[in-house]
Amino acid sequence: VHLDPGQERLLRGEGGEAKQFAMEIVTKVGDAVDAGSLVPIKSAHVLAHYSSLHEAGVEVLERFARGGGKFSVPTTVDPASIDLKNWRTFGIGEEYARQQFRLCQAYAELGGIPCWTCVQYQVCNFPKPGEAVAWAESSSVVFANSVIGCRSNKVTSGMDVACAILGVTPKFGMLEDANRRATVSFRASFGEPSDLDYRSLGFFIGRNAGARVPALAGLPASVTSDDLKHLGAAAAAAGPVTMIHFIGITPGSRTVREAASDDSVEEIPVTRADLDAVEGDLNQSSDTPDLVALGVPHLSVSELGHLANLLGGKKLRPGTKMYAYTSSQAYEMAARTGIASDIEAAGARLSQSTDAEISPLKKMGFNTVLTNSAKLAEIVSSEGEVKVRYSPLRQIVEEVTS
Amino acid sequence: LSRRDFRGRSLVPGTAEGEALVSERAFTFAHGVDPATGRVTDVRSDIRGAEVRGRVLFYPFGKGSTTASSWFLETVRLGNGPSSIVTDSVDLSAVIGSVMASLLYGRRIPVVSGFSAALRVAFKSGARVRVDGATGEVAILE
Repeated sequence: VHLDPGQERLLRGEGGEAKQFAMEIVTKVGDAVDAGSLVPIKSAHVLAHYSSLHEAGVEVLERFARGGGKFSVPTTVDPASIDLKNWRTFGIGEEYARQQFRLCQAYAELGGIPCWTCVQYQVCNFPKPGEAVAWAESSSVVFANSVIGCRSNKVTSGMDVACAILGVTPKFGMLEDANRRATVSFRASFGEPSDLDYRSLGFFIGRNAGARVPALAGLPASVTSDDLKHLGAAAAAAGPVTMIHFIGITPGSRTVREAASDDSVEEIPVTRADLDAVEGDLNQSSDTPDLVALGVPHLSVSELGHLANLLGGKKLRPGTKMYAYTSSQAYEMAARTGIASDIEAAGARLSQSTDAEISPLKKMGFNTVLTNSAKLAEIVSSEGEVKVRYSPLRQIVEEVTS
Repeated sequence: LSRRDFRGRSLVPGTAEGEALVSERAFTFAHGVDPATGRVTDVRSDIRGAEVRGRVLFYPFGKGSTTASSWFLETVRLGNGPSSIVTDSVDLSAVIGSVMASLLYGRRIPVVSGFSAALRVAFKSGARVRVDGATGEVAILE
């Protein structure tokens, strides 16, 4: 990778230890992937949950912070592994919380924007189409490339912080036009989708696109940005997807032909039977759930409003808890509008600044989780400590309330 | 004795030898490998239950969370990391995880891409394999 004289100086350590460490990471990765140069980014998004960064990840962050690192571009921070305000009432132990707070401390020193959300694009990080960014959080990267039309690779932990400190990222992958072309096309060939169908469809695409860049045609006009958020999250959970050309939605992808830059690509119809097969795969249990987990990615205030309507006048049955995971910003709006108290009146709780897939569910005492998130279902079954069931939201509410 | 060689794309340099552990499916360390044991836990993996420690790990491409490089790094920190990784398309989390492992723990874990399903017919789990990350060469030793 070609470095300019200023970047050479940083690599030699003339900008301090943190920038030197960051340059070592970024140039080694840039060399590996044959990036021609390091290009400026407009924002970064970095990972912060102890459950996935582990001790090794905490050491990396503390090394950056000790070395005097400061983020040089607006940098939003992904959720923590605990509700940072109310962790004690969610059954989190002191020692676990202490490890998470080491990460929070490092990010305070580095200058992260403490939004603690995986939907930073719904809260406080709004790139414009065409801009280069360096985002971690696979679901947000798919949203960035596919809905916003900005450009990000799936920047994984360690390099996320390095890019945020330097304000640059190696130019390769999704930053280059040639790699963004659609090379396979899916067509939604079933009726009006439910909430679950969007997620199952995403999972199907993630599993069947392989390393190709998928386009998706046939979505109804009623599809919301929240639906696309969940679809993209499921796709990224199931495969290496970093972008989906949503035909008629993604900037520059009005038709499959345009998304594929006039190449002809394989078209794969997605039928009701395909969605049923995904549901069957993600449903790994028939046990009574002790936790209903809604989120993954974080619910928006409008999704919380929808949940409040479904719960209207009902009560959770004893023995089942329901947590709706959201950002503190959406929580605040839900509180002001009365949505939060409506949800709580049914016996459910809102959890801020964390999300279910990065919470220590087993340590919190749960054995079977019921969700409409394909991403959560995939992750929980992968870890194998907690059983998982996967159902549409309407059906979940019917099952666990009276 | 037959000897099969393959020259792929060099991603992270270093040389390694080990027993091949071959998956035909999307693979991730994130939530899919227990760092404390190096054992594959992912129910959707065709190598579930296998241990990655010391193995030359083959898979077509990555999937899932961008925390994968930290799961990888933690697995290395605890002494349970693979000796090398060989993929079809570039898995950025393997590249970043390997770069971090060398910077933090001085562990060289070569990474090579450009492999294919057709080549995996010859490279079976259990075969003794040598990887040279600098040249991209992957060879079956016996």
